[in-house]
Amino acid sequence: MRRLPVYILLDTSGSMQGEPIEAVNSGMETLIGALRQDPYALETVYMTIITFDAEAKTILPLTALEDVVLPQITTPRSGPTHMGLALETLGRQVSSDIIKSTDEAKGDWAPYLFVMTDGKPSDTQLYQEQCAAMRKLGFANIIGCAAGPKAREDDLRPLCDHVLRLDTMDGSAFSQLFKWVSEVIASGNKSLGSNASAKLPPPPPEINVVL
Amino acid sequence: MSIVNLTSEGGKPVSFVDEVIASGAMKDIYVSPDKTYVVGFFRDTQDATLKERLREITTRYRSNLFDKDSGDFWKDYFCWPTDTVEHNGRIGVVVPFYASDFFFQYGSVKDDMLKIRGKDKEGKWFASASNREKFLDPREKGNWLTHLQICLSISRAVRRLHMAGLAHSDLSYKNVLVDPTKGKACLIDIDGLVVPGKFAPDVVGTPDFIAPEVIATQHLDREDPARVLPSRTTDRHALAVLIYMYLFFRHPLRGRKVHDPDATRDEELSMGERALFIEHPTDDSNRVRPEDLRPQSLPWGDPAQRPYTMAGPLLTELFDRAFIAGLHAPEKRPSAAEWESALVRTMDMIQPCSAGCDMGWFVFDNSRAPVCPHCGTAYRGKLPVLNLYSSRTKGSFHADNHRVMVWDGQSLFPWHVNRTIFPNEHLTAAQKKRVGYFQMHEGDWYLVNEAMPGMKNVSTGQDIAIGDPVKLEEGLQILLSAEEGGRLIQVQMAGV
Repeated sequence: MRRLPVYILLDTSGSMQGEPIEAVNSGMETLIGALRQDPYALETVYMTIITFDAEAKTILPLTALEDVVLPQITTPRSGPTHMGLALETLGRQVSSDIIKSTDEAKGDWAPYLFVMTDGKPSDTQLYQEQCAAMRKLGFANIIGCAAGPKAREDDLRPLCDHVLRLDTMDGSAFSQLFKWVSEVIASGNKSLGSNASAKLPPPPPEINVVL
Repeated sequence: MSIVNLTSEGGKPVSFVDEVIASGAMKDIYVSPDKTYVVGFFRDTQDATLKERLREITTRYRSNLFDKDSGDFWKDYFCWPTDTVEHNGRIGVVVPFYASDFFFQYGSVKDDMLKIRGKDKEGKWFASASNREKFLDPREKGNWLTHLQICLSISRAVRRLHMAGLAHSDLSYKNVLVDPTKGKACLIDIDGLVVPGKFAPDVVGTPDFIAPEVIATQHLDREDPARVLPSRTTDRHALAVLIYMYLFFRHPLRGRKVHDPDATRDEELSMGERALFIEHPTDDSNRVRPEDLRPQSLPWGDPAQRPYTMAGPLLTELFDRAFIAGLHAPEKRPSAAEWESALVRTMDMIQPCSAGCDMGWFVFDNSRAPVCPHCGTAYRGKLPVLNLYSSRTKGSFHADNHRVMVWDGQSLFPWHVNRTIFPNEHLTAAQKKRVGYFQMHEGDWYLVNEAMPGMKNVSTGQDIAIGDPVKLEEGLQILLSAEEGGRLIQVQMAGV
């Protein structure tokens, strides 16, 4: 019935070249694999992947989890990190994808957004404008991941509800990150505590949640 | 990977591999090196109540259940915590690993494309029409009879907890493992048990199963007297939802009605204060619109094609009480014991599909020419229906609202012969033995007496000795036992 749209924004700027981008590719496979083992996610999750470097590309338009075929994610040799542009693209995508509720029919669940970057936005002004614009799109949760030594949590804070810090950018760190992301997405059918409102599942030990 | 070795509260050695294999709302789960048990550590720092509750669950409540005559009976129904441990300031419970039936043997279609072979059989796989239709290997799916058996197992286990004054507080398809191939179910996550006045619940439940009054009051403070928290009454709602979902593969309250443009608020209202049964007889505003469903959710996703009434009159009445009368009036909800009784009797009213379709079984619809509702095949052959009556005062027999359909493989057991016997944990070994069977001979059905000493053909006045058959014909009356509570059967013939 209701779909749960999940948007994933991945940094593919030059600095991601080599091991990091390989780790992201295998991390995404982990994510899709883990979600497909969750019967709740299989019924509800739809996914979009947008990559950004000098350009922003929607490499996977909104697709039902069961039908997702992961494209190989590549990165140019060098180039800027146009995160503002990526958000602008995302905004257009979200506006056209999301089915709104009417009096007659139920619409989609509020979408999730995950942003992963290893650097800082090069298009600072556009990025700042877009951060404000994202707030109006009605995401249920925006989670940012600052990966590696050059990424700064401070850059992600204006955009995100939660910021994670990934110190290393090897395969096992990304695999843990994406596994955790799958748990966040699938958390809709878990037991709810009687004290607090919805909480994120605890992150794996290698990741620091920055609040 | 390093292994942690501890000594439990109960003085036993406990070891686990120091790596989280799963995380729940409250706990992180670790597995023992030999994979025979798991240890679940509570993330929140320990408090005295939690410790006390876990101690009670692993000692007193456990012993009350398992150290009795019927203790062995319950071993398959619960995955009960056995001990507690402390490590790095956190409290953990030791729980035996589930039986192997509760792990996928074949998994998903196309040589297990989803790679779920070996994973636990979370109920949601089977409670969802689209998952069943699209992903599960046919060898994992079971049939409609095994699904009724699953519901019976769950009802029994919940009835036992409730009898002991305990509430599970978080019944959901995550916390009830099912095995549709054998028709078994097992309650897990017992550590959240609620004891009224003693141990308050620490979860409100799992979405889809939380009772409307709990959702409608969850914005209130925990201490607010108007706030409703899980109890046996809310367990009854969750149980009814589980049974509905395992029989019809859809949620009883998820229909078309929109209560609010905001999805989260709409969810709160449609599961809470404005919850409405999708098959409500007079208010059709929450009907499912088949066009809203993915094609693979059909036919089960559409109640018009698979109405809940196909579960027969006994279960229909309980669904009515759970989702119509009792949805917003918790005291009207049927108890687990009522579900258990209705399911046992409904299983006697089930008959095999003549075409042997995937679902395979259906409940007799009281018609002379029954048709399989799953595949549309008309029943072929004679179909004797035995109506059970029992004596309350000598010589007078009253209808028991209990019918037994006769088909190849059907049998009579002591609980058919005597009203005072009920198939549950109290059956003696002798009472589990078959006392009569049915046989087709030259186009007629016969009941063969195996162990009913007082059996008598009332229509002719003749005794039917052990080893003798009696031909089943319209209007025939047979006394199965002359003892107190003994039953009389009146035969009706359906089918062609």
